[in-house]
Amino acid sequence: MDELLEKAFGGDTLSIARLISKVERRDPESHEVMRRIYPRAGKAYYLGITGPPGAGKSTLVDRLTRKFCEDGFSVGIIAVDPSSPFSGGALLGDRIRMNIKRKPEWDIFFRSMSAGKIVGGLSETTKEAARILDACGKDVIIVETVGVGQSELDIAGATDTVLVVLVPESGDSVQIMKAGLMEIADVFAVNKSDRSGAETIAESIGTMLERRSTFYKTKWVPRVFLVAAMRNWGINELYEGIRKHRTHLQNDSHLENRRKTQLKVELRRLVEKEIVRLVWQRLNETELGDQLVNDIWEHRLDPESAALEITAGVKMV
Amino acid sequence: MARPIKVVMAKLGLDIHWRGVYLVSQFLRDAGMDVVYIGNKFPEQIVEAAMQEDADVVGMSTLGGNHLTLGLKTVDLLGKSDMAGVKVFMGGVIPPKHIPQLLDGGVHKVYGPDTPMETIINGIKDSVSV
Amino acid sequence: MGREESKKDVCLFSREQLDTIKSGYDDWFNNVLKDNDRQDELSGQYTTHSGIPIRMLHTPADIAGIDYSEDLGFPGCAPYVRGVYPNMYRGRPFTLRQLAGLGAPEDCNLRVKYLLGHGATGVNILFDLPTIRGYNSDDPEAEGNVGHCGAAVDSIWDIDAFFKDIDLGAISTSVVTHLPSTSIVIPGMYFAVAEQRGTSRDKIAGTCQNDFIMETCVGSGPEILPPPVSFRLQCDVVEYVCENYPRFNPISYNGYNLREAGTDAVQEVAIAISNAIATAEELIRRGMDVDQFAPRMSFFWDLHNDFFEEIAKCRASRKVWYKIVHDRFGAKNPKSALMRFHVQTAGVTLPATEPLNNVARSAIQGLAAVFGGCQSLHIDSYDEAYSAPTEEAALVSLRTQQIIQSETGVINTVDPLAGSYYVEYLTEQMINRIFDYIKQIEELGGLVKAVEDGWLHREIANYNLKYQKKIETGEMKIVGVNYFRSEDSSTQEIEVFEYPETYTRQKAKLDRLRKERSQQKVNECLKVLRDKCHTDENLYPFTMEAVKNLVTLGEIEELFRDEFGLWTFPLIS
Repeated sequence: MDELLEKAFGGDTLSIARLISKVERRDPESHEVMRRIYPRAGKAYYLGITGPPGAGKSTLVDRLTRKFCEDGFSVGIIAVDPSSPFSGGALLGDRIRMNIKRKPEWDIFFRSMSAGKIVGGLSETTKEAARILDACGKDVIIVETVGVGQSELDIAGATDTVLVVLVPESGDSVQIMKAGLMEIADVFAVNKSDRSGAETIAESIGTMLERRSTFYKTKWVPRVFLVAAMRNWGINELYEGIRKHRTHLQNDSHLENRRKTQLKVELRRLVEKEIVRLVWQRLNETELGDQLVNDIWEHRLDPESAALEITAGVKMV
Repeated sequence: MARPIKVVMAKLGLDIHWRGVYLVSQFLRDAGMDVVYIGNKFPEQIVEAAMQEDADVVGMSTLGGNHLTLGLKTVDLLGKSDMAGVKVFMGGVIPPKHIPQLLDGGVHKVYGPDTPMETIINGIKDSVSV
Repeated sequence: MGREESKKDVCLFSREQLDTIKSGYDDWFNNVLKDNDRQDELSGQYTTHSGIPIRMLHTPADIAGIDYSEDLGFPGCAPYVRGVYPNMYRGRPFTLRQLAGLGAPEDCNLRVKYLLGHGATGVNILFDLPTIRGYNSDDPEAEGNVGHCGAAVDSIWDIDAFFKDIDLGAISTSVVTHLPSTSIVIPGMYFAVAEQRGTSRDKIAGTCQNDFIMETCVGSGPEILPPPVSFRLQCDVVEYVCENYPRFNPISYNGYNLREAGTDAVQEVAIAISNAIATAEELIRRGMDVDQFAPRMSFFWDLHNDFFEEIAKCRASRKVWYKIVHDRFGAKNPKSALMRFHVQTAGVTLPATEPLNNVARSAIQGLAAVFGGCQSLHIDSYDEAYSAPTEEAALVSLRTQQIIQSETGVINTVDPLAGSYYVEYLTEQMINRIFDYIKQIEELGGLVKAVEDGWLHREIANYNLKYQKKIETGEMKIVGVNYFRSEDSSTQEIEVFEYPETYTRQKAKLDRLRKERSQQKVNECLKVLRDKCHTDENLYPFTMEAVKNLVTLGEIEELFRDEFGLWTFPLIS
């Protein structure tokens, strides 16, 4: 483990990959890995990219990665794809878009992950993998997830800037608002904007964002960029927009506040998880659990009172 | 805790036929594996993918006659990159008389046309569990 | 279009006769058929490969609505179901077009002469993968593929060597370039060689394959031009060649490779025709008249195992094309609406196991092509699953064609299966289904957009998965592979041609070329081409000028990749 960590900190690709595997499979050593990694993490900039399937996220990741590399940054990428609900296996295709005409001096580490079999939750594993990349010296960490349900909220809790990618076909702003994307986006991109309808959707999102920012009196008003990643249109502007958010974060302790908020949530979740684990472990050792279920079943006790009884026990632990 | 078997699947070099490699990828996915499909790639890129993904298995497909050159080069590079433990499978149109050369060169198994998917799936599972 | 337009429900038979036949059928079904057989029929499990329901017995009732004159007509007359020429093979036997292309151009030259010497009347020239995907033989990306599966072509010198001592005015050549980005270069080399030899333009006959579906969907590649760019180059080739080479067909809509990649018969034809529709719209937008280009478009079908369905497909495709060119685009020249097609038997159906069985498969598929009224035919060789054909295998294929043409008598009458209740039923079904699928593509915003969105890739992947599952479960039988498999049905050792010296030869030639050519001229040509990429101008004259000045294929393709950017197809899971 010492050797593995040392090599990984030195930037050795295979060692970094193997560390990530350890957290992916919840290896007994994974906590130790994270404990040793953590002091070195925190320097990187975390960019999250989300949006509906087919929005062209991976192409955009490729284009933005180039921009970061051209500016001399090393980049770590974690691309999460859903897995088959039937077999648990996954076909991960984001990597197909990388490597095209890449310069040899560019430092890019790309890792694909399937959402399904990730033990302990998508958000934790991606967060840990991102921290490993961070600790191993990557300057920019990009986390790409398919925006379906929970994962975009996870991404918002794990990154400094969230880029939401839409396409002209994504629907009107009401739908987008319903999907919760307004809440998490720091930057919007309407990809494939060579198609009709791009400007309309961009305008309506823009208006909505302005109103929202006025209402909440936020300093940062997310901008909407029209891009066509495949044709390399608008990439420079989008890249500058993302950099601008980064600069914004560095002013007035925005970054510190954002990360502290995220850490609090993370900590809380970890504590909750641990407590639940302990309680259930204890319950399974005794017959109290079955007894209480029985009491509830027979309507001698209501569920909330039963829960209080259990947690009363926890307090004694 | 176990992770699904992770397979990096590539179309070797310029070969244009994606039907077989994609089908196999789908069947492996349906057999519960995590398949990283990387499209047409050259040896250095395949090795890089195998390393970064920490793959258990690398699958290469070619119908273009580059199995002895690019195929063996990939195996060789994997060895040099401390990835000798990764099992390499090849498929596609490969003349039977070239198979011994590939196996000697470190390819774990070669599956020609007409191979039932089950044979491939089991071949991969067996190779990883050993 | 299709059936609902037909005003009458009884045309071919009198109503009285038809009623007798219908009640006869019911009687037969209920009283003659055994219970088990009736159950078998009622299960509805029989379909063609593409899913058209099949009855145990087809009768006149299934085709009663056909209006002979309107729906079938006479050969050489609209709607061309029965053939594009009045006397069909009596006047013009199908061209025996076998593949040639292995190793260096010098090797191919010998093969071409061999085939022409044995009675072939045209050649298909195949290229190796680096050439197909636009890389020079000495490009690092070409490593391991030079001269395999086809000929290596880097410059005009190679085309010259390929056709050494062959009169380009006396043969018809199919230049199998596949991609628009190379079709705008390699046929140009062919034209330039002909020009240098003094062959007049009106004698240069042949076809090039020039299909953006090939570039973006059918073949994969490390570097692919975006679909709209590939489509633009496709149209550039059609426009330029139509205006300059009266006997050279600038496009062959490649249903074949699409089918091999994974589609059924309906999709094969519908997608190819959708591409033709898109091309027609673009060329009309550029100011051409439909009659200028439609007569020069040709198609390329894959003849698969389902014998009658394939015949029906060929017949149906002619009528669909006629309807589109005539009714939709208003063509006035009758030649515009002639769907002429080349056929290749289905390589994908030829397993590596017990390869000699493939002689039988290919012969049957080839026969279907002739019943379908193809204009030229290539019969796959039994060693298809191993490599491009060996000399022996290529000869068996050529002989198979000659046997069909000269011994079986099938070419002596036109469209001999017409009037078969089953074949006419299938033909009509095919026509309707092809039109439906074309409509579906148009509703998606047209073919170029459907490709960009990954829709076509999804269709292909879905088809393949379905098909493969049928093979795995044995529902689809492949003799010798999953059905009647011999105990020791190991694959047979087949001699594979290898041309390890091709790379060295091509490399040496390229070195010499780079030394001998005027670098200044080369730079000028490339500069002009680069600038023109970003205009609306047709690029053909500029690639042509470049190849004449010894600019290589790889240099032109590299320029395209730089100027137009790259695309990767959307992955479908």
